[in-house]
Amino acid sequence: MSVMANEPKLSHTAAMILQTIHVGQIYGFSVMEATGLPSGTVYPAMRRLERDGLIVSKWEQQSIADAEQRPLRKYYKLTRAGVTTLQVMHKRYPLLQKMISDPEVKNV
Amino acid sequence: MNLLRSLPASRFILWCAAWLVPGQEREEWLAEWQAELWHVWQSYNRKAHGGFRGGREVTGFCLGAFQDSFWLRWNNPGSIPRRVLRTGSASRCSLSLGIWTAVSLSTCLSVPGAYKAIRSAPYRNVDGLVTISTGGYSGAQSATIHLRDYESWKTRTHRLFTGIAFYQPILKRVHVAGHRGTELSIGRASDNFLKVLNLSIPVDTANSLSGPYTAKLYLSQEIWREVFDGDSRLIGSVTEIAGQRVLIAGVVTQDSWQLPGRVDAWLLEDERHLAMLPANSKGFVLAHMRTSGALPRLDSWRYMTVHNEDGTSDRFDCISLEQRAQLPFSIFLFTLIVAVIALPATTALPLGEYPRHRGPHPWAARTRRWLFLWTKLVLFVPLVYFSSVDVAYGFYSAGSTTAQYMQLGLSFFGFLFGFRWILQDQRKRCPVCLRVLSHPARVGQASRNFLAWNGTELICAGGHGLLHIPELPTSWFSTQRWLDLDASWGSLFSDAYVPSTGLV
Repeated sequence: MSVMANEPKLSHTAAMILQTIHVGQIYGFSVMEATGLPSGTVYPAMRRLERDGLIVSKWEQQSIADAEQRPLRKYYKLTRAGVTTLQVMHKRYPLLQKMISDPEVKNV
Repeated sequence: MNLLRSLPASRFILWCAAWLVPGQEREEWLAEWQAELWHVWQSYNRKAHGGFRGGREVTGFCLGAFQDSFWLRWNNPGSIPRRVLRTGSASRCSLSLGIWTAVSLSTCLSVPGAYKAIRSAPYRNVDGLVTISTGGYSGAQSATIHLRDYESWKTRTHRLFTGIAFYQPILKRVHVAGHRGTELSIGRASDNFLKVLNLSIPVDTANSLSGPYTAKLYLSQEIWREVFDGDSRLIGSVTEIAGQRVLIAGVVTQDSWQLPGRVDAWLLEDERHLAMLPANSKGFVLAHMRTSGALPRLDSWRYMTVHNEDGTSDRFDCISLEQRAQLPFSIFLFTLIVAVIALPATTALPLGEYPRHRGPHPWAARTRRWLFLWTKLVLFVPLVYFSSVDVAYGFYSAGSTTAQYMQLGLSFFGFLFGFRWILQDQRKRCPVCLRVLSHPARVGQASRNFLAWNGTELICAGGHGLLHIPELPTSWFSTQRWLDLDASWGSLFSDAYVPSTGLV
């Protein structure tokens, strides 16, 4: 089987969302703000990434939400497969890292 | 407007979208979206420094929930729309056939020529009403009978016909005061024409108009509306056609006649004026046959032989108007029967050997299989009928021979290849879930045909079983066989846990 066949097939939008989660925007609305994509695009794309095992979701602890007097949030993070895929995507979409970079790196 | 962009309205939008989400995921999905909504709301409120202006953005955010919920619904393995529209599913096949049948029917009803062909005869007391044409030209749209023959038959055929009428389509320009002149195809007819045809004309227009007119003009409703804008003052006015003053006596619907030749208006002239036409001018003849106890009901083709003075004789076809009106349906029935007879020459009729299904309801799988076959047949027969009528009579007029041959060819080949496809499609489907079998694989070697079977093996993506189709039918393996797979094979099939829902 060729190397190309093993490469995950992600659209530019999905790769952008993966990169956004990787740099620390870990919930839906922050991904929307960072990418400028509408909710109707971001959430279904995250469902697809989760189904393909590239990201996992986890509800935050109730005590944290209670302390900040807000509803519970669902956070997303990259799996090991997601990190590997993102590295492949960086080669495929070279501008991805420049478009969405780590906020701390940006400040330096 | 503000109410629509309020927080409760946004929550209501999310609640509505949640109904699209599969039941087991709905609660968690709604909790996530409501938590996100809270943050979106706070964010816009903070940016606006108290003067909140982000209502439109919040509503837009909430409407995106419909796309998310639809995605979840569509990607749920048990989703009904997904099962219905799945490639190769029985429902998709039935739905496509149903849509095509509906399209062909609606085309038939909207195309005037096709609609005229399928509707029943519009005449009252149609028994015995025939058109007479020269032998072999019964389907012709051009006139074949000489006026001199008609004049001769008027006096010589009293024992055969109770009434006989003549008409000749001519193109004439008609000028009416207040309207632009237009060229119409006028049916120049004997004054008993409407009586022979048994067409009723409103009394107030037909009888109350009198005067020194030798001819009356009856416009078709279509021409009256389109050319004369439905002007009711036209009735009773006088115009001049072919050098004679003509009274516009009324309007008749074009659906009232299905006669050869295109006619926009009928010009009824008395016999004296009609006799002034050249004796060799040609027209159509309509007659009402005398029906007595001795004669059977007129429902078949008849010939009329006329002996001439020089010893020769001419043969004419007398075709019942009822039969003419039913011709498209007769062609449909004829081609259906011939196609069924010819079908075994194009494909094998047996559907294969299917062992008794081992599921909880073995009879249900069998019933679904037969129900699907009959659904296809029931939808396909009207599809071929309406499509062939659409094509044949949409381009050619109802009485033309070309249209009849075209319908004959389309209908026969449509049925033949359609039935062939229905049987072949049925054979290549899983008997349990009715989806199209896939992944064909060659099994065995042709050189070992007498030692073991060789042929093609197809598999059901739902893991219900394998279909073995022999390459060469033998005495021990003559037709295709189905092999059931038990539930332990399920782990090998990604779609195996989709419940088998028969037609879905």
